[in-house]
This record gives sequence, C-alpha cells and structure tokens, in this order.
Amino acid sequence: MANDAIVAIATAPGRGAIGVVRVSGPHLAPFLLALVNKVVIARHATRADFRNADGGLIDQGLVLYFPAPHSYTGEDVIELQGHGGPVVMQLLVARCVELGARLAEPGEFTKRAFLNDKLDLAQAESVADLIDATTAEAARCALRSLQGDFSRQIDAMVSDLVGLRILVEATLDFPEEELDVLDNSNTQGKLAAVREQLARVIETSRRGSLLRDGIHVVLAGQPNVGKSSLMNRLAGSARAIVTDIPGTTRDAIRETIAIQGIPLHLIDTAGLREPQDEVETIGISRTWEAISEADLVLWVSDMTRPETHDIDPTLAGRLSLGVRYLHVLNKCDLMPPSSGGGQADHVSKVHISALTGVGIEQLRNSVLDIMGWSGGSETTFMARARHMQALKSAQNHLDAALLCVGRLELFAEELTLAQRALSSITGEFTADDLLGEIFSRFCIGK
Amino acid sequence: MQFSESFDVIVVGGGHAGTEAALASARSGRRTLLLTHNVETLGQMSCNPSIGGIGKGHLVREVDALGGAMAAATDEAGIQFRILNSSKGPAVRATRAQADRLLYKHAIRTRLENRRNLLIFQQSVADLTLDGERVAGVVTELGLRFSARAVVLTTGTFLSGLIHVGLKNYQAGRAGDPPSISLALRLRELKLPVGRLKTGTPPRLDGRSIDFSKLTEQPGDTPVPVFSFMGSAAQHPAQMPCWITHTSAHTHDIIRAGLDRSPMFTGVIEGIGPRYCPSIEDKISRFADKTSHQIFLEPEGLTVNEYYPNGISTSLPFDVQCNLVHSITGLENVHITRPGYAIEYDYFDPRGLKSSLETKAIQGLFFAGQINGTTGYEEAAAQGLLAGINAARLAAGEDAWCPRRSEAYLGVLVDDLITRGVSEPYRMFTSRAEYRLSLREDNADLRLTEIGRTLGIVDDARWCRFETKRAAVSRECERLRTSWVNPRIVARHECERVVGQALEREYTLQDLLRRPAVTYETLMTLPGAGPAVGDAQVAEQVEIQAKYQGYIERQQVEINRQEAYEMTRFPAGLDYREVHGLSIEVQQKLNKHRPETLGQAARISGITPAAISLLLVHLKRGFSDAKKIA
Repeated sequence: MANDAIVAIATAPGRGAIGVVRVSGPHLAPFLLALVNKVVIARHATRADFRNADGGLIDQGLVLYFPAPHSYTGEDVIELQGHGGPVVMQLLVARCVELGARLAEPGEFTKRAFLNDKLDLAQAESVADLIDATTAEAARCALRSLQGDFSRQIDAMVSDLVGLRILVEATLDFPEEELDVLDNSNTQGKLAAVREQLARVIETSRRGSLLRDGIHVVLAGQPNVGKSSLMNRLAGSARAIVTDIPGTTRDAIRETIAIQGIPLHLIDTAGLREPQDEVETIGISRTWEAISEADLVLWVSDMTRPETHDIDPTLAGRLSLGVRYLHVLNKCDLMPPSSGGGQADHVSKVHISALTGVGIEQLRNSVLDIMGWSGGSETTFMARARHMQALKSAQNHLDAALLCVGRLELFAEELTLAQRALSSITGEFTADDLLGEIFSRFCIGK
Repeated sequence: MQFSESFDVIVVGGGHAGTEAALASARSGRRTLLLTHNVETLGQMSCNPSIGGIGKGHLVREVDALGGAMAAATDEAGIQFRILNSSKGPAVRATRAQADRLLYKHAIRTRLENRRNLLIFQQSVADLTLDGERVAGVVTELGLRFSARAVVLTTGTFLSGLIHVGLKNYQAGRAGDPPSISLALRLRELKLPVGRLKTGTPPRLDGRSIDFSKLTEQPGDTPVPVFSFMGSAAQHPAQMPCWITHTSAHTHDIIRAGLDRSPMFTGVIEGIGPRYCPSIEDKISRFADKTSHQIFLEPEGLTVNEYYPNGISTSLPFDVQCNLVHSITGLENVHITRPGYAIEYDYFDPRGLKSSLETKAIQGLFFAGQINGTTGYEEAAAQGLLAGINAARLAAGEDAWCPRRSEAYLGVLVDDLITRGVSEPYRMFTSRAEYRLSLREDNADLRLTEIGRTLGIVDDARWCRFETKRAAVSRECERLRTSWVNPRIVARHECERVVGQALEREYTLQDLLRRPAVTYETLMTLPGAGPAVGDAQVAEQVEIQAKYQGYIERQQVEINRQEAYEMTRFPAGLDYREVHGLSIEVQQKLNKHRPETLGQAARISGITPAAISLLLVHLKRGFSDAKKIA
C-alpha cells in the first residue's frame, strides 16, 4: 500500500569496513539507473560508482537490486554497499533523498515487509515492539537534536511564518472585514525575513552537525588528575605538556582525532580550582567557555584521590540538558588489580590508565555509544537529518512562494506547505490553530 | 394513533438542512416524510438574509452539483449578487447573494410541494421510537406515530432553545416559534453526548426611517453573477444595493454602560458562541482599541421595508439596543421592528457520528445542521443533503456515500466534525481545506455531478447539461494542447501584445495560457488561435485547468498518498485495548471516538504516526490470522 520510496542506513553507523544503505519502494528501476548510471542485473552484485548530482564521486562499491516481490520488504529494494564510514553513508543517503526517496520512519522497512506478507506471524509479533521501541528512541533523538539554539531558531522562524500566514489567510477568508492587512504590511519583506532566517538555521545546523564538525569533547577535572595525559594518549602524541605540577595546563588545548571515522575534537582544559594567578583565572574561564560548547564532557578524576571523584558542582549545574558527560577514573594502574581497567558502569563510568593505555579502547567505544553513534538505526544524527530534510522542504516552498507573491492563493498554498514541513519538527499546527490566531489578532465578524 | 403509511425516511425540521435532506431522499426515490412544526416557515432564513460567501459559496455550489435546491432558490430570490475575492484566485473566489426572504421561502416550498415521493406534515416531533438499537420512527406532540427505516433530525436551535434579551430569557426555538423541549429531553435520555452552544442576531430596522443619504452604497456586481450551474441571470428578481455605516466611540460608550445587564457578561449564558461572529458587545470588549466597527445594512426583500444590520448582533437589554442603534450614522431616528437576541440550544458532540452523518449509537438515526454544532445556512444545507442521501441509501440497504476531504468541502466539513468535534459553532473557511486549490466553486460540478448521477439524485436535465460542458472543456483543452504557435508565422507584435513578449520558439496554446499574464480571452485574439468557445463556464474551466495544472497534480500526488489510509476500515467492535503497543491514552481516545477508517484515526488530535503504524500492523495481523484459520 506504500507508494513512496524510503531510504536508511541498514548497518550500525560508525562501525565496520562495509556499510549498507537500503532503499525500498515501488518501481525503483528508474531510480536505480539515475543513481548508478548503468544497468544492474537483478540479484547480482554489480560494481558501481556512486556519484552526487554534480557527478562527483561519493564512493565506489557494490549495488544489489532485488525487484519486487522477491525482496526483504516485498517491494523493489536496492542495497548500496559502500565503505563503512558515516560520512560516506550519509552522503549516499542524501543522494537517495535527492533522487526522491525519503528518510524511513523508525521500523518502516520491517513494517513494509510485514504488510507485504514477508514475515511470518511469529516474526510479526515483534513488529509492533520494534515500532514501539524505535519510535521511543527516535523521539529521544529528536529531542536531543532539538536542544539548544537550533530549537530556539526554529521556534522563532515558525512564529514569524505563522504571523505571515495569518495575514494572508485572513485576507483570503475574511475579505469583507476591512482588514486590509496585506496592504498595510510588508508581505514581501516578511517573506524575505523568514527565508533569511531559514537559510541561517540550515547553515548553522549544517555547521553544527556532527558529521561535518565532529563531536566536541571537553576534558575537565581537578588539577593534576591526568587530563593532559589522557589527551596525549587519545591523540597518540605529546600534544599537551604534562608535568606533576598542578595547574600546568593554562589554556585550552585542542586536538582533532577520529574514532571509527567520526571526527572528535578534544579540548584539554585548565583544571578547575581556585585560581592562583591571573593567567590561571583566564585559563579557567576558557575552560567554562569550552564546556559551554561541548557535546560531551569527560570528567577525569584520579582513582587514588577520592576527593577528585565528585563532579564539580558548578560544572554539574552548568551542563545544559543536551550535554552528556562521562566519568573517567584515571590512574587505575596505581590501584590493586581487583579494580582493573576498562570496567564500564552503564557507560557513565570508565576506568583507565592514561599512562599504560588500559581501558582506552573501552573509553573510545563509550564515547561513541553515549553520542548515539552505535547500536540501533535511530541516532541523533538521523533525527537531525530528518529535521534538515524538513527545513529544506520548507525552503523549497518558500522559494516557490517568492515566485507567486502577486497570486495570493498560490502564495498561501506555498506558505501552508512550508509550515507543514516545519510542523513535522515543532508539532502539529492545525487549520483551527491558525483560525484561532486570526480571531485573536483581528476583530472578525460582521 | 399509528399513521397508516410507513416511510423509508422521515426528516424532522424544515430549515436549510431539513429541506435539502427531504429533497435528496425523495430524489433518491425513497418514500419520504418531512415533519415540521409549521409549514409556513419551511425554508425560513432565521438570521441574515444572505447565502454564500467564502467557503460557504463553495458548499452551496457542491449542493447544487448534487442536485440540491439552495443555489437554484437563491437564483430565484437573490436581490444582490457579488463575487468575493475575485482578484485573489479561482480557488478562494466565492459567490454571495442577498436574498428576498419571502421569495426564498417560496422557491424552497415550491420545490418541496412538487417533489415526487415527498409528503409534508405539520406536527412537532416529541419522541423517537426505537427497536433495540435502531430507530423505528417518531411520535408527534398529538401522539401520532410514524414509522420509518431512517430518521433525519435537523432541529436547528430548537432543542431546549433559550432566548436571551438582557437579563430576561424565555424558552423558544427562535423568535416567534416554540422550542422542542420533550424531544430534547428524550435525546438526553438516550445518553448521546450533549452540549450547549449560543448564537445571536441583531435588531431589525424599518427602512423607511433609515437616512440613506448619509450611508455608503454597496451595489452588486455587473454583470450579475449566477449561483446555480443550471441558473441564469434572467431568473433574478429586481436587484437592490446594500448600505455601509459604522459604529462610533459614542456607540461603544453606550454598550459598555449596558454590560452590567448583558447576559453574556454576567454569566447567564453558558453556551459558547462563535468567535468569528461575535456580538457587538463582545467585539468592543475584546478589541477595545478599535474605535469603529463596520455595519452592513442588508435589505430583507423587495416587498418589505425591513433591513438587517449585519455586525451588531446583540443580547443587550432592549433599551440599550435602542440607544446603540440610534448612535449610528444614518440610524439616528430608526425604528426597530424586532429586538436582537441571543439563543442557547442543545447540540450533540459530532464525534458520535459516522461520516455518513448516521449516529454511531442508534442505527438509522441521522443528524444534520446546528444539532451537530455547526452554524450557517450553507453548512446546514450541505449536511442535510448528505444525511438525506445516506438515510435514503440506508433505507434501500445500500452503502453510504461519504465524500473525502480531497473531493469536496462537504467532505472537509463532515470529517472535521467527526474527527475533531467542535469547541464553538463550526463555520466553513477555505483555510480548513488542505486541498483548497482543487476544491473550487467553478469545478464543483466536475467534482460531484457524476457521483450525484450514480447516486440517482441528479436529474436528466442537469446531467445532460453537465456532460455537454465536460465534453466541451476536454475538447478545448485538447485543442490548446495540440495547437502550436510558430513565431515565424505569427507576427512579433501580436505575440508581444498577447503574451507580453516575443516568442523565441514554438509553443502550444496551452503553454502560453499557463503564463500568469495570459488570459484565455486575450489568447484567443492571437491570429490563428481561435475560435474561442462560446460558453463562458467552459472558457473559465479551460483557463483555470491550464494555469493550475502543476499545483493540482502536486495535490493529486498527496491525495493518492493518503488514499490507502482512507480506504482502510476498522472492523466493527474492534477493541483498541488489544492493539499491541498503543499507549493507554491513545487506546482510550480511539475506544471513545471509534473512527471508521485509519485516515480518520490519524486526524484525531493526539493520535501519532507511530500509533497509526501500530494500528496498521494490528489490522494486518487480524487479516493474516483470519486467512490462516480459513
């Protein structure tokens, strides 16, 4: 019963040498041709170049084509096997979206398989659970994506767009009310303002997206717990000066590393304590700046000094909702063997030794886990990708609106569609809600 | 006493809903009885003497396209016709007419009295007779018992109607008519979910005492528009203008001074009134910074002197009404012929209805009009038509016809009512229709007349005219699509004159017509482009279809996408508690409102896409289980 094509990354992101992007939908043959520009024999592995719209090479890999009904979902299915890095996978997904597929809803491939009688009843039992679980996960991811500035900017934009729609719809539905609202207000200027805002949100959220910029990880803790040693261990080089003297690190030191292809920006910071001099004061204030921009804070403590374990109360207070933190207990090599390294406690605590390297692999995995880059198919990144897709759809409609400023009902149509796209991010906005806004703004009623 | 004859359908009420319902049922070939408390008030316009307007005109055209009476009666009774939004695009363009009340009533009654299969009887209905959970007939105040397979209730504001003028109130169905008390009590006994709404009307004025020299005249359009697809301007009686005046700061002072005796502001009125049709006291309170409000003085007819001052609906005490009216320019010495008033009445939560307008609780019982929480003659007529069609179909053992949101405003209206309920009297606006560009006044016939023919409610004359028009439209579209304009043959200055610029290559006439600046009329003046079609309706359709093709196609894609959900019906008696994974809140909501289709469920507020997926899986599983057992 589905009549549109869906796409998603089928393999766990960030892991493995091979990654698979899967597309399902009716009549995918033209889609496939546009994607790989060669004839693909059904159910044969075919080597292909995956190119973007400009012809630039995204990746080389294998393509598999399963025509309906002999496929996982019972529809036409295409599998693109590329190199496993998340950047390549995301670019492939983006290309498929460009060609008309939409990002799959949580559990949607399985749902389609089920609806097309591809699963037996026992398997089907789990479909509802899957939808339930992935929806909950997707909701959590969407919430994370919506934290901070991104959400504020979208809210501001939606409210301006609603403001413009009120004027347009009131003019259409209440022509006899002496409103003349459109004559007295600068429609084009208002549209231009919303378009500018939208372009800005798209630009900043692109810049802020994990894919492009990686995860900002701040190493924080009391002085001399081994933050700089950990930094050097993770970076694999003596990037930061390490001494036994507390307060050696005065300024935030930055280093970019990659864990399984995902860029990580490490920021080593001055230890948090009462500053001893002016240089340290500035260093500590930069620590706070770094923390305020962080996606993840590693709170490093010295296992031999329990007084360093408790997270700084100021820091705990400053961690905004979206920022997660991980407690890294360093110097486990100095502890009795029973408290050995690498132990993880629900990924919120990792025991390591920056000196010997024990537990560092576990730490790397914990960082990815906690940032939503492993496990199921729903990640913060996917949530953000959905939001970006909605923003771009809104942008297309606002561009179209610009072309029909003089033709009011077409103008209204494009604004409505733009708002519908944004509402998929911010929540439903019904015709009744709009009328409510109109009635509260204007005195309607002869 | 049992009335000797048994009917297929009984319609209770003779307003705009009741008359369309009775006519539609009778057109369907079913033996129909129209019961009214007073034959003289059949087709009465209780409020303002006008038909149509934005969104409402769309409904009237749809009723007309299905063979209904409202547009045709308006063509015979209309004393001023205008096209609203004429410059804003065809989808939001709408016809509005002032009607002579007496001529309108006459036009409706003539149709009722000459309708085959339809009997009229004057008696108030006091009770319903039930056979288990299905309706069996009605009982009148005299104790007469009528039996029928289906009953349509169109009781307007009559159910426990309570009129307020100042702090005085009395029971009435509308000014001058008795209320329906026993029927209201009976319906409350049936445990249907009841609520109270409120509406109002302004004082009426004696035109002989209005000083028109101080007012702005608002004439009708020329050429005079026509409402019905079957109508012509030659049917219109003599035309009259409306007049425009304004309230003043002094008017507002008078109103404010009277608020302590307002039933609205002292809490005597409990029912909720419409925000888009507020009383004048409401307007000056909510928009205190506005120093003046516009008032339209609408003539009530050619043979009476009364005027309807649209914009000052009020339930203030009569002495305040007098003072406020006299403070308005041109009305300084006016004589009030009838006081304004507010009326509270019972309505039933429309979420208790199927999309056929049959109640879910009682089989064969249909509701239409204000009883469902709507307001407006046009909304009432549209529901009446639908209820009449479906009551007739139920009586004949046929499946109901339920128009979709993508097919008609009628579909939008009913779907909004049954999925979202009402929080105030519901009125149609074009912004309620997500497929607005497709649901136009001009194509109501193309959308619905063929369906109406299949339903058996469109007569031969209309069908013949429609087929001729439809064929002409498609012929002309085809001609434009296949006729090329070659810039080497057609003179450059001619192209510049018609298209606005020289042509750099060959184009079809259809391509050129799609350009915003080109109209069908001017295009046909291009050498070699003609001949133009003679029928203005055809020319209009050809032009709109060309210009809107891209948008309409895009909407069609979206409509197709939704289609599967609209087609997926829930089995009767589905217990939503058994649907795996649904939250308790969603289960309760669905068990309470019992949507008929997946599409309806998706439009209930608070039902998430994930819940729809879960329902889909549940339905599919049920089907697979059943298949396995079979």
